[in-house]
Amino acid sequence: MELDLDESSLAIGRIERALSRIETVLTERANRPAPESAPPQSAPSDQSALKAEVVAVIGELDRLIAEAKNG
Amino acid sequence: MGDVKLSIAGRAYDVHCADGQEPQLLNLATVVDEKVRAMPGGTEVRQLLFAALMLADEAQEAKGKAAKAEPQSDSLRAAVALAESREAQARDELKAALAELDALKKAPPSNPAPPNPTSAKPSHDRALLQIADRIETLATRIEQMS
Repeated sequence: MELDLDESSLAIGRIERALSRIETVLTERANRPAPESAPPQSAPSDQSALKAEVVAVIGELDRLIAEAKNG
Repeated sequence: MGDVKLSIAGRAYDVHCADGQEPQLLNLATVVDEKVRAMPGGTEVRQLLFAALMLADEAQEAKGKAAKAEPQSDSLRAAVALAESREAQARDELKAALAELDALKKAPPSNPAPPNPTSAKPSHDRALLQIADRIETLATRIEQMS
């Protein structure tokens, strides 16, 4: 994929930083001791919307990567 | 042959030298005369002896300094030679690059342009920017949930 250095590197930098934020949160959650009482969880519908969004973004990325590979 | 009249420690000396060297000889005599006059008291011979010793000491010191500076000047010379060779190399590379550029400008396009690559690029960029937006939103939501 031929990338425009200004626009696309900016976008890639933003993606990397956002992924790093997600990774930090997930690591913190994994290391956090289990609370005695159940923490206030977000609504199940929120979680499934989130999962759907993650899947959609991954699909979008896959599509872009495939396009780049095929020229 | 040149004839020169020197005056050292108040005494006149007639000396001969090669033609053209008279000013240098007069100059050297002035140096010796100044040294002799700087020597305190004593006989004329003693003053001349001390002046000669002082001049010999200065000459030796100057030789020592020159010997010490020699390695330094050698490494400086090496650095200059290296810089010169790098400059020559860079100039050659620049010349070759310019020639290549010139040839590329003159050469007719060997094959037709690929099917509009510029049209794909902005769309990729847009897609990347959209994905960046979405992942940032996801990160914010995940941070809020934790």
